[in-house]
Amino acid sequence: MGILLFITVLLIAACGLIYELIAGTLASYLLGDSVLQFSTIIGCYLFAMGIGSALSRYIHRGLAYRFVWIELMLGVVGGFSSALLFLAFAYTQGFQLLMYALVVVIGVLVGLEIPILMRIVKERYQFRDVVAHVLTFDYLGALAASLLFPILLVPRLGLVRSALLFGVVNVAVALWSTFLFAKQLPSIRGLRALCVVVLCFLALGLVQAKRITAAAEENIYADEIIFARDTRYQHIVLTRFKDDIRLFLNSHLQFSSRDEYRYHEALIHPGLSAVPAPRRVLVLGGGDGLAVREILKYPQLESITLVDLDPEMTHLFSTHPMLTGLNQKSFLSSKVHIINADAFPWVDSNTDSFDFIVIDFPDPTNYSLGKLYTTAFYKAVARHLSTQGLMVVQSTSPMFARDSYWCIVETLKQSALKTYPYHVYVPSFGEWGFVIASRHEYTPPTLLPAGLRFVSVDGIPSMFQFPPDMSPMPMPPNRLNDQVLVRAYDQDWKDISH
Amino acid sequence: MKTDRPIAGGFVNDSFEIGHKLRDRVIFPVARKVEKQTLVIVGGGIAGLSAAWRLQKRGFRDFVLLEMNQQPGGNSRWGENEITPYPWAAHYVPVPGPEAVYVRELFEDLGVLKDGVWDDRFLCFTPQERLFLYGRWQDGIEPAIGLTDNDRDQFRRLEDEIRKFRASGGFTIPMERGLSPALAHLDQIPFSEWLRSQRMDSRILNWYMNYCCRDDYGALASETSAWAGIHYFASREPEEKGPLTWPEGNGWLVKRLLERVGSFVRSGEPVHHITQKGNRCRIFAGDTEYHAEFVIFAAPTFLAPYLIEGFAPIRDFEYSPWLTANLTLERLPNNYGPDLTWDNVVVNSPTLGYVDAMHQSIRSHVERTVWTFYWALAEGQPAVNRQLLLEKDWSYWKEAILRDLERVHPDIRQCVSRIDVMRFGHAMARPKPGAIFDEQRRKLATLDGQLLFANSDLSGLSIFEEAQYRGVRAAEKVLRHLGAKNT
Repeated sequence: MGILLFITVLLIAACGLIYELIAGTLASYLLGDSVLQFSTIIGCYLFAMGIGSALSRYIHRGLAYRFVWIELMLGVVGGFSSALLFLAFAYTQGFQLLMYALVVVIGVLVGLEIPILMRIVKERYQFRDVVAHVLTFDYLGALAASLLFPILLVPRLGLVRSALLFGVVNVAVALWSTFLFAKQLPSIRGLRALCVVVLCFLALGLVQAKRITAAAEENIYADEIIFARDTRYQHIVLTRFKDDIRLFLNSHLQFSSRDEYRYHEALIHPGLSAVPAPRRVLVLGGGDGLAVREILKYPQLESITLVDLDPEMTHLFSTHPMLTGLNQKSFLSSKVHIINADAFPWVDSNTDSFDFIVIDFPDPTNYSLGKLYTTAFYKAVARHLSTQGLMVVQSTSPMFARDSYWCIVETLKQSALKTYPYHVYVPSFGEWGFVIASRHEYTPPTLLPAGLRFVSVDGIPSMFQFPPDMSPMPMPPNRLNDQVLVRAYDQDWKDISH
Repeated sequence: MKTDRPIAGGFVNDSFEIGHKLRDRVIFPVARKVEKQTLVIVGGGIAGLSAAWRLQKRGFRDFVLLEMNQQPGGNSRWGENEITPYPWAAHYVPVPGPEAVYVRELFEDLGVLKDGVWDDRFLCFTPQERLFLYGRWQDGIEPAIGLTDNDRDQFRRLEDEIRKFRASGGFTIPMERGLSPALAHLDQIPFSEWLRSQRMDSRILNWYMNYCCRDDYGALASETSAWAGIHYFASREPEEKGPLTWPEGNGWLVKRLLERVGSFVRSGEPVHHITQKGNRCRIFAGDTEYHAEFVIFAAPTFLAPYLIEGFAPIRDFEYSPWLTANLTLERLPNNYGPDLTWDNVVVNSPTLGYVDAMHQSIRSHVERTVWTFYWALAEGQPAVNRQLLLEKDWSYWKEAILRDLERVHPDIRQCVSRIDVMRFGHAMARPKPGAIFDEQRRKLATLDGQLLFANSDLSGLSIFEEAQYRGVRAAEKVLRHLGAKNT
């Protein structure tokens, strides 16, 4: 009986520590600041164990019976702690309150375990042996748990299932105790039946854990995914972390709501404010409506035409309340005309002229997208420029993809356009580059719309300065029959990710 | 479990029937009317249409072009469905060098070449070609991965040899410009033998050489003259990354030519008899007997003995049988990759792979497309393979094509909704050893008088540039005779 008893100690010690680690990890993932989370949770937990130990003295009779009950309660509370916390984070404002409450409850129950167990077995051993053996196996259990947790449990099972698994261990200990302490227990059958019911309950949780995991835990490693859809054209994912909404197209970050104003103000205003009396604007790409939001700051405009391939994308950004909050319902303006079409054929067949043209496509990660960065494309776009017209091209990062950036500049030059490259700092992207291109000289604007948060008249000239680590590189132009840009882009990003 | 699509299709554009009638000397109906023309062009492929183009440009209008098939264009015919136009055979022209003056002139006419700059809408888009080997696709068709040092050394030596041959000036397009008896010895041996003599025995190099010969000549390296094998590599040094290509392949050129000379073309008019007496040629087609001073015979030359009265039998003209198919794809295979590649070749396949008709589209997003599948029946005797083409039904070829594609695209049967197959008994002249410097061929090629020959088979090389060159030259000869007569 001795060794079985001490294995019980080892198991319950492991369970206690696992619940504590899960709470700490969850809080760090969800709230950040892991030092604060782990410190407060360990503190609360140890303190609660102290309360449990103190309370143990008020238990006089039915020690074994109460031990079984404690194990059952721990199994349920600890086992479901992780799932409960995830759901609380997703659906309530009371995540932290619930978390500390759970930590305290678990701590108290764990605090009760060892004193009661020691009292149950005190008759069988000498006091010094009881203390030595119980505490030895207690600490061994802690060691086992602390090693298992990062190496096996989190990577293999995830937080929800790890908690449930150790809930099962607690209940198994309860069931086992009904055999171990059979002589001291009344109504053994009833207790065993209860143990089995709770076991089934936890097992059901384990089976269903995948659904909770799928809904929440996978995303906890990054941010919470609030929208995911495969359209005909791309894979759209929206994530939210606190107040930061991010859009990913085919897993490439398109914007972060925390700093996208920097990107979109820089994309639009240095160019559009420099066009005298603009009336008509064309946006190619930009299905998130954020560039259009900036363009709508020019009340003199008569029409804004947006050509984006994916109708689901423009529909999403016209209807989803969180997203129309970001683009200030720009797609609902009566000036905006949305055309869902492949940009190159549209540019080729349409004959309208525009005073300002925004080219805001995803980076040239493949040859299909690369066609939209070629001399042939820019020549076709330039035919739509009015006499005073300007165009601006999002041109990837002159810092991380320096060759690619200057390749785009060269491509515009070879398309018989004057080029004015500039760059800004967008925290979620890093240094980001744009190019203004036109048939005539460009002069930076002296007046901007009111209320901009980033672009200012005084700040614009410095955007056109390139420090040595981003200065021009000699690159050939990107052409339909020789897409050097896609290869350069691929190489640029390989260089920084290895 | 995903189910395969039902696949429709059949044989299209067969021209066996009329060919076999000519071969078997079936009695054709007697002519019921006579029409006078100064010149009749027989055959509406690139050679015939190019002759017409030159005549029309020179303001000469007193001629007709008689084409056997309903659709002119010969090996440059094309098809069209609701997705895209697509080629039936020839699908590109390499960017012509400075010597190919007629080709350059045509491209200037068509706006493909403007002020010395090639319109990049017509240059093959990136990515151009890929080869499937060792379970993956590599860029380009020349094997570049998994080579041993020995392979690499042999490829390098081959390149050096080719560079020397290029510098010799003996390998040009048009081939007549550089044709030199000093290199005639190369025409006497098969290309494979020349490779052996150069100690080039690398298996992968020999696969590639065979692929090139099958692709350009429909023959294995062992059935190809070494002169022709070398010409493939040594004749071109493009000034621009090409080739020139269009969704419908060289059908685009036929369309543009027909815009200019279509009014002279009478299609569905098989010529069945030609006589030459005194200074009058009589050409019988359908119910009409044409009386003409000149005939440009632009149809394949092997037909001449069957059509032209008193024409000596032709020796040593061999032709390669081919099969092409156009596959309609409702979606791309799952393992296709993000980008459409123009020419897709699989190592060690008996076929030549497929070309994507949507590749020259400027669209960024393509769902449905058409693949043109090329298969030169190069292994074995041409006559036997021609018999095979005739005997086997459409299902046989459909299965053969799908099995070939399944090796690289396992879900191809879930993608394809239609396979149309076109059979060419005599697709192209085969430059077997001795063919290039063959006396009869040289004689017919340089013949002058009332009856002129213009098919590319007189070059022994079935390529657009040769066909166009021979057509233009024949037209110039006619114009010169007429000019001499008028002055």
